[in-house]
Amino acid sequence: MNYSTANITTLLIGALLAFTIFFMVRKDHLHGPYAIWWLGIAVLAIVFGVFPKIVNQLAHHAGINYPPTLVLVLAVSFILLKMLSQDLHRTLQEKKIRRLTQRMAILEKALKDNKLINKDT
Amino acid sequence: MNSLIVIPALNEELSIQSVIEKLEHENLNNILVVNDFSTDRTAEIVTQSGANLINLPLQLGAWGATQTGIRYAIKNGYDYVITMDADGQHLNDGIKALKKQIADTQANVVIGTFTQRLSRPKRVAWWFFKAITQLKIEDLTSGFRIYDRNAMKILSSSAASLLDYQDVGVLLLLTKSGMKISETEVPMTTRKNGKSKIFYSWWMVLKYMVQTTMLCIAKTGVNKIKTNK
Repeated sequence: MNYSTANITTLLIGALLAFTIFFMVRKDHLHGPYAIWWLGIAVLAIVFGVFPKIVNQLAHHAGINYPPTLVLVLAVSFILLKMLSQDLHRTLQEKKIRRLTQRMAILEKALKDNKLINKDT
Repeated sequence: MNSLIVIPALNEELSIQSVIEKLEHENLNNILVVNDFSTDRTAEIVTQSGANLINLPLQLGAWGATQTGIRYAIKNGYDYVITMDADGQHLNDGIKALKKQIADTQANVVIGTFTQRLSRPKRVAWWFFKAITQLKIEDLTSGFRIYDRNAMKILSSSAASLLDYQDVGVLLLLTKSGMKISETEVPMTTRKNGKSKIFYSWWMVLKYMVQTTMLCIAKTGVNKIKTNK
């Protein structure tokens, strides 16, 4: 197998990413489901670094003459997907925060009025 | 008629007191002011006036504050919610008109309409939204409305929590859920303090137009929300 400098760079980036993710999880900075996504990306980078021929073959099957293009296209696609899923998640969180804020304010009012709240509504 | 008057208020220290006094003068005592994280003396003034007050710990916007009031009204067993602005645009005569209209008709919602206030750009915007939503309502943004219990249930649901304004999105949700909306012309005093919350800069107008247009298109044919009667 011919290893080029580019492959070693990819490998290093993947390894660094993987190391960072484990470190972040260890420090409680990164939450489970997100860690899985990023770990997957790191694994991909490592695999592409160790077996550069995979990229060449995939590109060949996809009809792409210049294999690095495939890597770039995939990278951009994954970034867009990730950003979209982030906004979806943020929307859900926004909804939860709004409901929670309202509920808290209503409970605070009930506490001040010294009233019990109907559980069924 | 067991109704609660809900007034969302954001920095309304200049007008909130006179609004509450006017209402109390007419023996309308079920007043709830939802303080949308004001930075002025709004909360203090409302507390002194003796009206009910809910303080939001975060700013939710006019609709988020109004929805808080509706959720409160449901929890406390009110049959109707009347929403009105805190800047003194709505007269007490208008409340009578709303109550009369909802009692006389089969409507679940009555909107107090102020057609004479519409400026030219607003007229164009309303015409556009009416055309794409097929809503047969004159005043789409009037904050002066009465909701019955079925409408309250729909609007207190989490499906209504991601709306930002009490206008087209709220009306679409209501009509798609089978609510009947009626309108009545009410007299209005001109806005005393402050400006319109939406139509004060071109950038805001553009943002509002695009956001609302997208909502109108995206909500075409959405399933209705069921109420338990």
